[in-house]
Amino acid sequence: MRIKVLTVRASLYASLTTLAILTLFPLLWVTSIAFMRSPEQSAGTPPLWPRHPTLNNIVNIVQREMLGHYFLNSLIVAIATTVLSTFVAGLAGYALAQVQFRGRRVISWVVLFAVLIPSQALVLPLFEMFREVHLINHYAALILPAAANPVSIVLIQAYMRGIPAEILDAARMDGAGEWRTFFSVVVPMMAPMLAALAVLTFVVSWNDFMWPMIAMQKASMQTLPVALASIDREHYQEIGLMAAGATVTILPMMAIFVASQRYYLRSVVAGSLTD
Amino acid sequence: MASLELSHVFRVIGGGQTVLHDIDFSAHHGELISVVGPSGCGKSTLLRSIAGLEEVTSGDIFIGGNRVNDLQPQQRRIAMVFQNHALYPHMTVYQNLAFGLRARRVARSVVEARVRRTAVRLGLEALLGRYPRELSGGQKQRTALGRAMLRDPEVFLLDEPLSSLDVPLRSEMRRELMALHKSLGMTMVYVTHDQSEALSLGERVVVLSAGKIQQIDTPQEIYGNPQNRFVAAFVGWPPMNFLNGEILGAHANDTQNVEYGIRPERLMLQQHAADDLSVSGRIECIESLGGVWQIEIIHNGGRLIARVPPDAALRQDAELRLWFNQTDLYAFNRTTGTRVKVNR
Repeated sequence: MRIKVLTVRASLYASLTTLAILTLFPLLWVTSIAFMRSPEQSAGTPPLWPRHPTLNNIVNIVQREMLGHYFLNSLIVAIATTVLSTFVAGLAGYALAQVQFRGRRVISWVVLFAVLIPSQALVLPLFEMFREVHLINHYAALILPAAANPVSIVLIQAYMRGIPAEILDAARMDGAGEWRTFFSVVVPMMAPMLAALAVLTFVVSWNDFMWPMIAMQKASMQTLPVALASIDREHYQEIGLMAAGATVTILPMMAIFVASQRYYLRSVVAGSLTD
Repeated sequence: MASLELSHVFRVIGGGQTVLHDIDFSAHHGELISVVGPSGCGKSTLLRSIAGLEEVTSGDIFIGGNRVNDLQPQQRRIAMVFQNHALYPHMTVYQNLAFGLRARRVARSVVEARVRRTAVRLGLEALLGRYPRELSGGQKQRTALGRAMLRDPEVFLLDEPLSSLDVPLRSEMRRELMALHKSLGMTMVYVTHDQSEALSLGERVVVLSAGKIQQIDTPQEIYGNPQNRFVAAFVGWPPMNFLNGEILGAHANDTQNVEYGIRPERLMLQQHAADDLSVSGRIECIESLGGVWQIEIIHNGGRLIARVPPDAALRQDAELRLWFNQTDLYAFNRTTGTRVKVNR
């Protein structure tokens, strides 16, 4: 019995380790290339490890290609999108799950159907719309379309359904208005879910490529992934420079995931743990 | 403190279903009224309507003589204790108690003093820093009660507040509730599906079925003088036995339309008066409950339950004759269920 458990556990760890290596290897290699000198990185297949590590590539890409500027663009867009989208999804999901009003069902269905629309299909109408209101080349062009994310709304709605309505009734009886109820009672109760959504939203916004490429036509307004792609076109032989750009792009994601890992995991398993 | 009055209250929901049908009663200042009925009878809806959490379709609700139909829950000076306590899970006991006062922008020092006073009164002072998940059922219940008390209500509404507690704790909390009611002297409406709880707590009892009031009376009258078959069957445990008219033999004159009822505790093993009547049947089951035995007999294909003093002579499957006094017999119209005078 004991041996069987151990065998199962060993094979589980073995397969997880393999999976981790497969996932992490390219990432580590790219990071490693970012620290290599020119002869190494441009030699057919670059080695796994830099013989003489250097910061030249990083310094070059930040100085020569104004990477800091694009980094800032990405940061502004991602933070604004995350804050706005989490707030809207929190309010909408709560209202659709717990507040009684006419048309609630219809709206719920509309939101659910909106999940099915691929974002590529929205590019053209969005572009027309934002050109009409002269917001192309503005941060708003990237932030506003992401502010109401149907997936987040549906997730929050499902989570909110699990919260007993009596608690909200109690808050009403206690004399708390709608906003106080929302901020002092509802938000703390769905905090894990909101935190997980915030992380996901940030990552999606940070990595978004197609719409930012189309909506930000002025070079100075480009986000990091778009800028990185144009660097690729200009310096297609300088692998080190590209790797440095990719490393700088990935860094904030890594930091966020490591910092929020515990919260994030908690909400993923929240359904099975609520008492 | 104030009186509560409901005048011809109706509530009709979406599909045209009438959840509350002509609810009309009043509780005088300081009275404890219990509302009892099977699940789905509309008792929770009734309570939520009084609280203002649900709107009534027609009719008026008065608190302290003022019509409150159009007031928001927080304006009605009402407090409610919910079935599952409904404590805020992310707040400590102190924060739970203080939440309502804070929402009404009461000064911090006043909040502190009042919360402490209420906590002491309910024996919660050592638990103020704990979270609801760290409390026992009884402690959660006390916290919910305290939160309601701090609302300074004129009418106190309780929605099955004891149903989530185990039996010994329930009777302890019941006593505490009664003491609390006496000391606070406020009007209380207590909703429960447990008829014994309703009888033991309520100064008057409202029996509700299918959204209609079946009877409003003192516990003694509800038990001893039920106005219809529903009340007779619902109140009392074990429930009343119902018999066909022929058990009265020549005495009965309207066996077709009348159904008779006799309470299990009124059936006797011996004849006591000359005009006592009897039924007989085979003993199906003997259940010893200590000082009293519960006996089930099969009579005419139907089951009768009797509560009698222990008797070693009783054997399962033996024939048994059970006696009862004619004055203990209830009669009900077979079609309408309303109580009729016993005809002999």
